[in-house]
Amino acid sequence: MAAWRGSRSGGDGLQSVEHISSSRTVRLGKVQPQAPGHRTVFCNDRDANALAKFKGNSVSTTKYDVFTFLPKGLFEQFRRVANLYFLMISILSCTPVSPVSPITNVLPLTLVLLVSLIKEAWEDWKRFQNDMAINNSTIEVLQDQKWVLTPWKKLQVGDIVKVKQDGFFPADLLFLASTNPDGICYIETANLDGETNLKIRKALEKTWDYVTPEKVCEFKGEVQCEQPNNSLYTFTGNLIINKQTLPLSPNQLLLRGCSLRNTDYIVGAVIFTGHETKVMMNSMKIPSKRSTLEKKLDKLILTLFCVLFCMCLLGAIGSGVFINRKYYYLRFDKSEKQFDPDNRFVVAILTFFTLITLYSPIIPISLYVSVEMIKFIQSTQFINNDLSMYHAESNTPALARTSNLNEELGQVEYIFSDKTGTLTRNLMEFFKCSIGGEVYGTGVSEIEMGTAQRTGAKIETQKQSNTAREKGFNFDDARLMRGAWRNEPNPEACKEFFKCLAICHTVLPEGDESPEKIRYQAASPDESALVTAAKNFGFFFYKRSPTTIYVRESHVEKMGKVQDVPYEILNVLEFNSTRKRQSVVCRYPDGRLVLYCKGADTVIYERLVDGDNELKRITREHLEQFGASGLRTLCLAYRNLSSDVYESWNEKYIQAKSSLRDREKKLDEVAELIEKELILIGCTAIEDKLQEGVPACIETLSRAGIKIWVLTGDKMETAINIAYACKLINNSMKQFIISSETDAVREIEDRGDQVELARFMKELVKNELKRCNEEAQQYLLSVPRSKLALVIDGKCLMYALDPSLRVMLLNLSMNCSAVVCCRVSPLQKAQVTSLVRKGANRITLSIGDGANDVSMIQAAHVGVGISGQEGMQAVMASDFAIAQFRFLTDLLLVHGRWSYHRICKVVTYFFYKNLTFTLTQFWFTFQTGFSGQRLYDDWFQSLYNVIFTALPVIIIGLFDKDVSATLSKQYPELYKEGIRNAFFKWRVVATWAFFAIYQSLVLYYFVVASSNRAINSSGKMFGLWDVSTMAFTCVVVTVNLRLLMMCNTITRWHHISVGGSILAWFVFVFIYSGVILPKEQENIYLVIYVLMSTFYFYFALILVPVAALFCDFVYLGVQRWFFP
Amino acid sequence: MSSGDGASQSSSKKSKKPTYSRFTQQELPAFKPILTPGLIMAAFVFLGITFIPIGLSHLSASDNVVQLVDRYDEDCIPTYNSNPEEAHNKRIQYIRDASTNKTCVRTLIVPKKMRHPIFVYYQLDDFYQNHRRYVKSRNDEQYRNPSAERKTANCEPEAVNDDHEPIVPCGLIAWSLFNDTYSLLRNDVPLPINKKDIAWQSDKTHKFGSNVYPKNFQSRSLIGGATLNESIPLNQQDDLLVWMRTAALPSFRKLYGRIETDLEANEVIKVVIQNNYNTYTFNGKKKFVISTTTWIGGKNDFLGKVYITVGGASLFIAIAFISVYLVMPRPLGDPSYLSWNKNPPSN
Repeated sequence: MAAWRGSRSGGDGLQSVEHISSSRTVRLGKVQPQAPGHRTVFCNDRDANALAKFKGNSVSTTKYDVFTFLPKGLFEQFRRVANLYFLMISILSCTPVSPVSPITNVLPLTLVLLVSLIKEAWEDWKRFQNDMAINNSTIEVLQDQKWVLTPWKKLQVGDIVKVKQDGFFPADLLFLASTNPDGICYIETANLDGETNLKIRKALEKTWDYVTPEKVCEFKGEVQCEQPNNSLYTFTGNLIINKQTLPLSPNQLLLRGCSLRNTDYIVGAVIFTGHETKVMMNSMKIPSKRSTLEKKLDKLILTLFCVLFCMCLLGAIGSGVFINRKYYYLRFDKSEKQFDPDNRFVVAILTFFTLITLYSPIIPISLYVSVEMIKFIQSTQFINNDLSMYHAESNTPALARTSNLNEELGQVEYIFSDKTGTLTRNLMEFFKCSIGGEVYGTGVSEIEMGTAQRTGAKIETQKQSNTAREKGFNFDDARLMRGAWRNEPNPEACKEFFKCLAICHTVLPEGDESPEKIRYQAASPDESALVTAAKNFGFFFYKRSPTTIYVRESHVEKMGKVQDVPYEILNVLEFNSTRKRQSVVCRYPDGRLVLYCKGADTVIYERLVDGDNELKRITREHLEQFGASGLRTLCLAYRNLSSDVYESWNEKYIQAKSSLRDREKKLDEVAELIEKELILIGCTAIEDKLQEGVPACIETLSRAGIKIWVLTGDKMETAINIAYACKLINNSMKQFIISSETDAVREIEDRGDQVELARFMKELVKNELKRCNEEAQQYLLSVPRSKLALVIDGKCLMYALDPSLRVMLLNLSMNCSAVVCCRVSPLQKAQVTSLVRKGANRITLSIGDGANDVSMIQAAHVGVGISGQEGMQAVMASDFAIAQFRFLTDLLLVHGRWSYHRICKVVTYFFYKNLTFTLTQFWFTFQTGFSGQRLYDDWFQSLYNVIFTALPVIIIGLFDKDVSATLSKQYPELYKEGIRNAFFKWRVVATWAFFAIYQSLVLYYFVVASSNRAINSSGKMFGLWDVSTMAFTCVVVTVNLRLLMMCNTITRWHHISVGGSILAWFVFVFIYSGVILPKEQENIYLVIYVLMSTFYFYFALILVPVAALFCDFVYLGVQRWFFP
Repeated sequence: MSSGDGASQSSSKKSKKPTYSRFTQQELPAFKPILTPGLIMAAFVFLGITFIPIGLSHLSASDNVVQLVDRYDEDCIPTYNSNPEEAHNKRIQYIRDASTNKTCVRTLIVPKKMRHPIFVYYQLDDFYQNHRRYVKSRNDEQYRNPSAERKTANCEPEAVNDDHEPIVPCGLIAWSLFNDTYSLLRNDVPLPINKKDIAWQSDKTHKFGSNVYPKNFQSRSLIGGATLNESIPLNQQDDLLVWMRTAALPSFRKLYGRIETDLEANEVIKVVIQNNYNTYTFNGKKKFVISTTTWIGGKNDFLGKVYITVGGASLFIAIAFISVYLVMPRPLGDPSYLSWNKNPPSN
């Protein structure tokens, strides 16, 4: 401790440091809120840090704790309108207005709340246990010159920790030293972004030696860095040791959640702890989406409210009219407001409330909780566990991240799909290249084969080449292999080409340093494909140190000679989506300075040195040719640098690199300065193969009436070809192409007048859209109707999305069965999605795998992420994650369709059973002088929803199947019912309502009419409660049998639940009428025994449900027979 | 996060392959109740052939019941030849006057031979025994338990008398107890009406106490109906018990007593009615009913008719289905009948 305190004096000289003010305030002991700009951390000095009151390292992801659980949980529950409604009804039922005792409404509400709260508590408990496990895992922390095992939760900002191989980082650490030479370590970030390749982190040179505890004790430093934020890939800060300010970058940051690989141990200082770590700041809530069916359900509930209101109004008016002193035996007088015949208005109003309480079961209280439970089980048990959606290769099962949208999957009409990684495999293979104006590579891509098939030309199936094929390399051209390139017309260009491939990348080699055994860890599969290509061409990249790349070059100086060449890497200008390029400045062993650059054709062409237009033209042609074959292209270029140009630039670069603010932007700007006057070498073409089963899946989906849009960043030719290859477009389709790649556009582009360009483009797009619309109309009228397809590129789309043209675009695209948008930005993807979502009001699904699809995934009704490949961002934003595009068939046609059917059935059944029940009450009201006398006993009414009719409907929500999984995939047309929403239209609801009215009339009047005479040979008569128990028995039996009638499949669970529910009623009524409860009225006491002693009971019990269900049965029979 | 920190590395290497179970793969054994035409027809035929006999037996049983209904409220009151409103008031005056003799004799002719036991009922129409204010105006605890006589909750306004002494039995139902009495004469010989055992056994043994005696009953100025003998416990007061089992509908019958001898056809029965009960204020009807019973109880065509209707309808539909089936047979599972193979819907 004393040693640490010594560091204080060293800190006094910090006057020169820019951010002195904040560090000083801390030192003065005035605890102030941290300046928003940055935080200061004193490494290895707990006391100094204590003043800043950093948060501890224990994390809690729970929603509630012991004390807040009840209030907070209840609050959450009452945010639901239905629960709030029942709370109000419950309160109302405690007033004298109520015809029922409070138990009627309080009990079901309590049960519903209890179920919901238990579910919440259980989920929270699991989270809590998980947190505990994490918080109590141990880590070695430096204390008194020793490593001491400490639980994670005790960790504090500024502590020095030691993390061993394969260990997880307990907090965000500043990387100080590692056992590896050169202060590097390898980390796996799979928990953060799902990328499994290892990444390098490199400590600052100054801190390399702080490896042993003795040494680390001496470490005293002050870290100034940004405030905690959720950006995983940025970090800016400075480390101040011994009055020296050293810039810190993400390279020195080890994030919590990552794990250490290939390194014995590392030493780091804790910077961000607990909830302030980047990964915790990143754990965003699952976006809550509500399904359209649920919204429609709200409308239904609203309609029920209206019905309820009308019923109550009718009853209230009736009561106002009825009330009269002439009924002397009812003793209407002023003593009770509700029965004051002098004030009919008040009577009506109070009766209105009475009736609301009485008819409250018309709103199905348990509906939401039941539907939620059903959906939860559907998603966790069925979707997540479906073996046919399990991808063995990537070991990924399907994952439903939200259970809200299951039935939405059954109604999808538009699918927006990303191309790369979604339709295609994202397994890149180096396929062709063009060097110095010469095309190499003889392979025929899948897409070319597809093209050939459609033009009818026959292409000889390619002979399997003798070259050893490996992952990422599918290239065969003897002209380049084994040093043969030396004999090509342009060997210098070839050499540069290969060197560029071997040097300009951020790939990590792993494993043995031999060509056969080495494995490349790359951020993207393209990169590793390129490096693998270089290896095969004889430029074997085998080792990387932080400053050097080692390449084993063959055949360079003369054939057969192998030499290891170290290239010193001076700067790496990294790839990002705005730059669309990547550069490396390296120094040859002979001192030559070269900048190698590779990137998208557009950005590279902008930065080429003038001259040699012939090469540019030819290469551009090749690029287009590659693109047409569905290949991904990259341009390679280089620039020779003189040392003074480099030195002056490097200064600026270092400055930019150590800036605290806007570092990214400044780096980009500096990079611009040197990435110019490039010399084109050539271009590469990488094949991205289609995923397994994609064409079949797309065909199935389009037969199911789903329209598929492909939104891709690729070139138009690539996109169209992919569309052909996956059978999205075929030759019989009429294609409309709206492209900005016309000569007229290019001409204006060259003039460079942006305003004119915009105007022209808008005009062009408008005319094109108009023309296409007209043609589309003609095609639609013509017989036979041919299918239409629209292809549009990003620039045109930009103008077409303009509000004035949007409608036209929408009209056109609605008529097309396939739409391909190419060269679109992530934002445009989202715009197109919401265009269809809002404009056409159809249900949309977006599927994608990369970060660029996130906006699209969030914009659509249902977002599906492809898991297990490019990263986790798409999955994190999605509602469902599947491993392969083809699993969409199962997800939509099987699970979606079933869920939709089931939920529709559940909802309509709930509607029906509660309406039937309430209507019997309603009919009774007319015969009680509109007094609001209840027909059923309190307990009957309260348990009706939660016990006597609850379970079977859940069973139907889980097990009902109209057709088997294989059949529904075989006949995708079945899916169209969902798109048309055939099972939850108002017509369906009206049918159910009709039968509910009919049945309630039968149930009520049949029972009442048949029981108003002596019912056995002893001549005795039934009373009110005998009749009501009879009626209730009939209702329970009828409603449960009706459920059995609507089942498509009946498992033993159906029998158990239906039989169980009816049995539960009888058991209940036997017990209930057998005991004397301490209350004023034992209406039901012994009633069931009286009832069951008569023949009448049994005959009525057979007759009434049969009569009630008779019409339903006829209806179903007729429907099944004539309208299957 | 969850799979991350604490969880060991091995778990992430483990296969995430879901385990097979028939539940999760949704392959539970199930049978599909397809409503094939054959099944539908069979069901209807079955319904028809079981329901019609049940219905017929009900109807015949109901037919065997002999019942005599006589509405007497209009005839057992003097006619007043003034305007309707005045007449109405005079009638009310008449019925409320306790001092007048309201004996009224009705003569009935037995239409058919009636075998004993013959049940005597009174029937009230437009009497809302099921009104909410009425139904809840009772306290079962007080009726059952002598020590609970002060428990008069819900009994307002007939809970306590003017001296705040509890009324037993309390409440409006008891207060408005029916108090017309009938005695029968056959050929001017009294025909005894047995009033024993007219209430449900459960009411006698469980709901009303054998040691609860009426108290302060009808002691207030406003008298609703019958008085009770204070020396007889509640569970022996069968009339009260019958009355207290409130009816479900505003038109109801209640058992009055039994005649234990047969009545021959065309015998003349004189009914001597003490017309005390006031139904005149609300224009309710009073009827005197004697009826025999069979195994289904009293005269009740309703169940029989519905049974026959449902059964008949089933048979009719079955026949209709069969004829349609013969005219245009349709193989099951013919895909050409599936909707998307027909012309697309016009919308």
